[in-house]
Amino acid sequence: MNQKIRNFLTSNEMIVVYIIAGLAILIGSVNHAFNSISTVVNLARTMLVTLIFAMCEMLVIVSGGIDVSFPAIASLAMIATGNIMLKNGLDNVPLAFLMGAVIGGVLGTLNAVLIAVVKMPPLIATLGVSSMTSGATLAIFGAKILTVLPAKLDELYKVSLFTYTNPEGITYSLTVLFLIPIGICLLMWFLLKYTMFGRGIYATGGDIRAARIAGFNVTAIQFFVYIMSGILSGIAGITYMILMRAADPSVLMGSEMMVIAAVVMGGTRITGGHGTVLGTILGVTLISLIKNNLIMLGVPTHFQTFVIGLIMIVGTSITSLKAKHIANSAKI
Amino acid sequence: MQKITNYFKKADRIALALLIGSVLIFVLMGVTHPKFFGKSNLQSMLIQCPEYGILAFGMMIAMIAGGIDLSLVGIANLSGIVAAVLMLRMGGTNLSIGIGIVAAVLVGSLCGLFNGFIIGFLDIPAMLVTLCGLQLYSGLALIITKGPAITGLPETFSNIANGKLLGVPIGAIVFVLIAILLCYLLYYTVFGKSLYLMGTNKIASRFSGINNLRITMLTYCLSGIFGSLAGILMASHYNSAKSDYGTSYTLLTLLIVVLGGVNPNGGRGKVMGVVMSIILLQLVSSAFNILRVNAFVKTFAWGLILILVTTATYLTAQKEARD
Repeated sequence: MNQKIRNFLTSNEMIVVYIIAGLAILIGSVNHAFNSISTVVNLARTMLVTLIFAMCEMLVIVSGGIDVSFPAIASLAMIATGNIMLKNGLDNVPLAFLMGAVIGGVLGTLNAVLIAVVKMPPLIATLGVSSMTSGATLAIFGAKILTVLPAKLDELYKVSLFTYTNPEGITYSLTVLFLIPIGICLLMWFLLKYTMFGRGIYATGGDIRAARIAGFNVTAIQFFVYIMSGILSGIAGITYMILMRAADPSVLMGSEMMVIAAVVMGGTRITGGHGTVLGTILGVTLISLIKNNLIMLGVPTHFQTFVIGLIMIVGTSITSLKAKHIANSAKI
Repeated sequence: MQKITNYFKKADRIALALLIGSVLIFVLMGVTHPKFFGKSNLQSMLIQCPEYGILAFGMMIAMIAGGIDLSLVGIANLSGIVAAVLMLRMGGTNLSIGIGIVAAVLVGSLCGLFNGFIIGFLDIPAMLVTLCGLQLYSGLALIITKGPAITGLPETFSNIANGKLLGVPIGAIVFVLIAILLCYLLYYTVFGKSLYLMGTNKIASRFSGINNLRITMLTYCLSGIFGSLAGILMASHYNSAKSDYGTSYTLLTLLIVVLGGVNPNGGRGKVMGVVMSIILLQLVSSAFNILRVNAFVKTFAWGLILILVTTATYLTAQKEARD
């Protein structure tokens, strides 16, 4: 029992919780403006899209691959859906999400074919698809930012879960869109923990040959993972468009670093086979907290890139040292 | 006669295919657009390609070692900025330019050593370490510049990339020298042999007495030095230094290296193949410019070529395995 508690207290998730708590206390004591509900609301808003991306990236990394094409896929889904809906006078929320998911699914299938059938290294395949997708997005739809969205999509933005008005009279409202990442997280948690297919994803990431010999259909698992990642990226793109009330083809590009950092911070091993939904959520929380509130500590914005890089390298070193320690420790 | 056919059989088939492709584009473009053969076009090609060509060499040795180096562009920008700051602080004399260049190379090798140490000692995948490295080094560059570009560099410095020796841009000469040096290092030294062996099989190389950590650190150090040389050329070409120059080069260098026949899983790759693929891609790029194709179509084409080439290599490898 004692051992169990100790294991729990030193698990990757708990380490991230300690860091988050420490950081929150530090920021809160330096700057009292941090201690308010508005911080939570802002944090939730920042996390919203990153969380969807992190879920698809976590799924891919657990299966032993990596996906750097999701910002490009999300941008294409966002711009293409916005343009097509405006041109054809379509105005329907489920249709928008469906279109995003289909676009994402098609590109995800391309990734899956390249990786599972052609056996390309995942990084190179997804980099290639990313380049193709972002090139095509800009060549077809141009670099113009869409600022007028179909009316019903715009209305969805104004629906909120709860609103909070602070003493100064500024209202903070948490949008209903936050239910999307929550739903996806629950779905992922169930899939990875309680289905044979989900266990197969872990097995594939741990050792692809062993998984095949154990009777998992490895190709099907890889196809599922990359197509799912594409679909989720498409949905994330549409969510982002509604959240920002605009469709900008280049705003998401370059966010892959941040998302991979968040996933790895949450204890997902980049070599595959390890990773949890809870850890990923905590990792995203930590990175968003840093991103949002570094300025409250008096750190200038041009330090941000460096600090995030530093946290990433320290975080990965800690998880790797821990894995090395476990591998070297005596086996019973 | 037997000897000659054997020679052609042994000669890199990939390099040969790339050479044929280059000649085809050259002839086709030359016939339809005479401007392609013009002196200004040829010279601008020779100024552009050393920048990412040297970066591609860095990527190549990292990939032969079984890793990857995504931090090259970060290293290039950081060292370019360090050189620029030193030059401006010391008044822009010729001596300060020399010190700036030495400092840049030093920064590049330190960054590379850091990458190599973490990859080799902590056993973290190279991809992750160098992604973090990219963030770290561009972050440092951003801290130094605070955002805007550093301008007003001495004129002598800008002559490095834009000047010519006997009509050939100096950058191109540097590029050729580095290619020859790399050939020597990879094919005729113990380091080169160990590098290929380590890339093929890490465990086997350790058991045959090779110090994997040392080879890894040397490899990434060399790759960092290449990064800093490209950074100097870039800063000199634009006559300024900024933290986000050349961000598209990461994909481009990956494309060059994979196209040039370097195995992404490590252990295989030749300098000639990479040189040929640099030439081919520069020709394609110039052809796009002359045909006035949208720049975004170029990004699309890079991705498409990367995917098509790897698919083709896979299919031929499978066919060979069946025969």
